[in-house]
Amino acid sequence: MNGSQLTMMQKQSKPILLFNDECAVCRHIGHWVQRSAQSKSGETSILVQPIGDDPERLRSLNSNLDIWDAYETIHVLMPDGSMRLGGEAVAETLRNLPNTKWFAWTFATTIFGFRPFQFILNVAYEILADVRPLFGCESCGKSKVLRPIRWVTNWAKELSGGGHHPSPTPHFSSSSAARRRPLAVSGRSLPHGRHL
Amino acid sequence: MINETVEHPRTTSLKALSRDKIQTITSSAFTRLVLEAEGPIAVEFMSYGCAHCRAIEPVLEQVAEMVKPRERIFRVNIAVEQELADSYQIQGTPTLVMFLNQNEVGRVEGPSPTLSSVLTAVTQPFES
Repeated sequence: MNGSQLTMMQKQSKPILLFNDECAVCRHIGHWVQRSAQSKSGETSILVQPIGDDPERLRSLNSNLDIWDAYETIHVLMPDGSMRLGGEAVAETLRNLPNTKWFAWTFATTIFGFRPFQFILNVAYEILADVRPLFGCESCGKSKVLRPIRWVTNWAKELSGGGHHPSPTPHFSSSSAARRRPLAVSGRSLPHGRHL
Repeated sequence: MINETVEHPRTTSLKALSRDKIQTITSSAFTRLVLEAEGPIAVEFMSYGCAHCRAIEPVLEQVAEMVKPRERIFRVNIAVEQELADSYQIQGTPTLVMFLNQNEVGRVEGPSPTLSSVLTAVTQPFES
């Protein structure tokens, strides 16, 4: 079965979780989901794929899926052509895992038009996404959580005459992470994360 | 970060297509489109998984519109074109390399994602 056949089959049948293969946290979670999604008979309830480097391949999965957006936030591609993003994608993933679907129904629970458990999950996802760089994400940039601390540090240095000189290449990241190849397509076992 | 459910029909997205203002080129097309072409050309060596490349992307697309047709900007994905990145000794992403008549005339590593910074990076090497 070649890549395009696999893509077509996946597009038609099961949800697809896309994860950032260059982020150690995301990779670890992707592996966990892939292991958890497999039943004893070998069936898998949700497919797990690294985002990879090919924008056209992603558009073949869903024509509205942009590769930059895929790296920005977690996506689950649904068989009906819709997409779940962020906390909604996490909830959808949990709904599809045999070990977690028993409690995942709570995320759809509505109280006066408000989904409290989904809200908590959304906040938890936001926090995790913001701290990913602290846990070894080489491609996620700087941690948003630490930004205020960095601002205060720089401000204090300037006040004390420490002469804070911004780096001439403040947005330059080593190419080592970017050069790593995607691990595998879904349906095959993924090797263990190289940073864990 | 976004938390939402997006319901999309399976039709071609104009939004998605319109974002590709910068052509991504492969090593096979690099010689023809960059080295054998005339006029100023800027090449962004990038990777889709790089947060800094993501930050600079909308600015670079804006700059590409501003400098067109005097100058062309291409994109090289170093995760795919590793040999090309090695041959130009790309140490990180994003790196902008400017070419004029087959010669590299300038290079900027990790420009700040501001319009003025990127515009200066891709035009200044051709002014001297």
